[in-house]
Order: sequence, then structure tokens, then C-alpha cells
Amino acid sequence: MKGLSDCEAAASMAGAIAIGEASDAQRDAYRGHLAECGRCVGELGGEREIERVMAVVAQARDNERWEPDLRRALARRGSPRRAWRWGAALGAIAIVAAGAFAMEKKSEPGNGGPAISAREARAIAALGTQTAPRREGQAESLAVGAPIGVTTAFSVSVNSRGVPLRCTITKSSGRSALDAALCRAAMEVHY
Amino acid sequence: MEACREIDRTAAAQARVETLVLAYQTKLARYIRRMVGDAEAALDLTQDVFLSAHRMLQADPSRELTAGWLYRAATNGAISFLRRKRILRILPLDREIDRSTWRVDERSAASVDLQTALGRLAPEQSAALLLTSYAGYSSSEAAEMLGTTATAVRQRVCRAMRVLRSVMKEDLER
Repeated sequence: MKGLSDCEAAASMAGAIAIGEASDAQRDAYRGHLAECGRCVGELGGEREIERVMAVVAQARDNERWEPDLRRALARRGSPRRAWRWGAALGAIAIVAAGAFAMEKKSEPGNGGPAISAREARAIAALGTQTAPRREGQAESLAVGAPIGVTTAFSVSVNSRGVPLRCTITKSSGRSALDAALCRAAMEVHY
Repeated sequence: MEACREIDRTAAAQARVETLVLAYQTKLARYIRRMVGDAEAALDLTQDVFLSAHRMLQADPSRELTAGWLYRAATNGAISFLRRKRILRILPLDREIDRSTWRVDERSAASVDLQTALGRLAPEQSAALLLTSYAGYSSSEAAEMLGTTATAVRQRVCRAMRVLRSVMKEDLER
């Protein structure tokens, strides 16, 4: 087992060993590869090393104590917890503008060099795909434990720095307290 | 008559969502908190998952909603959240760890090391590690949720493991 494709296969086997899916034959093949490939010994580690690392994941999982109760949280707040989806077109435009501005600003001292990394460019490009489909700027809230679910829609205008300026309820939940709470929450977010 | 049917449907959907909430809220919220590193955001995203379930059941009350469906929705929600967060902040792009939202008894070396490693991984790699070794799904089940192959999931787990290993090493050297 030599060469790049074999090291890729070894990485996949190391993953299989990590999640307890490797057969005896696969474990043998993995050992065989490590015996001949010093790079993989250093990068992937032997079976014991894999177990040692994965024990940390198991320990972290077993130590979890957080037990949120969505229903209790709702009762405590006296109104349904907000769970909203937004993406007002204005917000998207403002963020694109901010992204473009950041790119421009960064490229100035760069003497023509690529001042923005590929990751940053990807992140900014992803904005269109992530935010554009949600131009409606809709908010919804589900009161778990209440007799019926409640749907509310709002739109938020934001300035070029992503600071919300105004929130309007476009479809009321029929409960003024909930409408007001949603707008309050929406206004607290930096878009 | 139609209005009565609508109310019946809403009530039935509500009852089924409540059952799902009781059975999965803790597991899902913990999974999402590991994904995004923040309890408050995890609570919002967890509720988003149940909201989607409610909408789906209201539209089709006979629809079967499995745990896998909930985890898939949770994964998609967490990945979108992380992308949005990265976009909004532009820089830096790494996920920071807000330890203040973690209880003292949860801030063990193992927990902090894992969260640090997750913060350095691409969301899809974090999801591969968490869906398998945290939530207990096989690589094929996780692959279905992530829209990839079992081999790719195993490779992502391997990548995640390498990052975790380097975090553990840094921790020892400190």
C-alpha cells in the first residue's frame, strides 16, 4: 500500500477504526500500511493512538450535563421563545456591500497582490446562496405546549453597517405581546 | 367543517411535535451546541428544527419523522448558521469558543479540547465526527444526512481526529 491513493484509503480506514466500523481485515490492512508508511504513522497514528483520541470525544459526550427544556424555557419567558428565520433583502444587500467594501479596503495596501484569501472570498460568495432565497424576511414562532402554533412575519430594514433601523410586522400572530417581542429580538441582531 | 379539520390537523401536529421535543430536545440541543459552540444559538436552532417538523406534520400528518430527519435538519441549520456567522463577521473566520455558556462541570479538559478542535474544523467535518462518535450514527447513515459517501464521512472523521490530536498535544505542552 503505497502512493497517494493508498494514504487516502488509510485515512478512511483510520476514520472507520475511530468510529468502530473497521473489520479485522481492514485493521490488518491498516497495520500493514503503517508498517510501510512513516508519514501515515505520524499523521494518522496507530490503533491505540486513535483510541486515545476518540476516548476524549466519548468522555466529553459522557460529561455533558446540559439539559435544556424548551417547554420550561417558554413558560419562564411568558411568551414563546423566538425561533425565526430572516434574511431581508435589504440586509443581504447591505452585507454584500459591506463584504465588497472589506475586499476593496483590504486590497489597497496589498500592492496589487491578492489581499483577500480564497476562504474569505468563498465566505462572501456564499452569502448570495445563503441569504438570497430568504428575501421574504419571515419570522415564525412555535409555542410548544400551547394549544396551537403561532406564525408571525416581519421585515427589518438595516443600514449599510448591518444595524437594524425599523421592524414592521407584516403578518401578525394575533398577540400583540408576541409581535412586539419578535420585533424587539429582530432589532437586537446585527445583520 | 374545513376549519374544524384544520384545527384537528394543527392539534395533531402539535401533539406529535411535543412527543418529538420530549424525546430529542436534549440530544439535538447538545449536538447543535457542539456544532456552533454557543448555547443560546443552539436553543434557537433546536427550536427551528421542531418548527420545521411542526410545519411538515401540519402539511402531512401521516408523514413519518425519524430521528435521522431531525438530525439532518439540525445539521443543515447549524451549517447555515455557521456560514452566516462567518459571512457577517467576514474576519476572523474561525469559530471562537464562548466558554461562559458552558457549565463549570462541563469544562473538563476533554470537553474543552473537543470544542477547540471543532472550532478549527469545517462545519461538515465537525458534523461527520459528531454524528458518528457523538450521536452514534454509522458512517453510511451520517453520509445520507450530509449528502455524501460513507468513505467521505470516514475521511472527515479522520481529519477531525487529527485536529483533535494536535489540540491535545498543544494542551499538554502548555
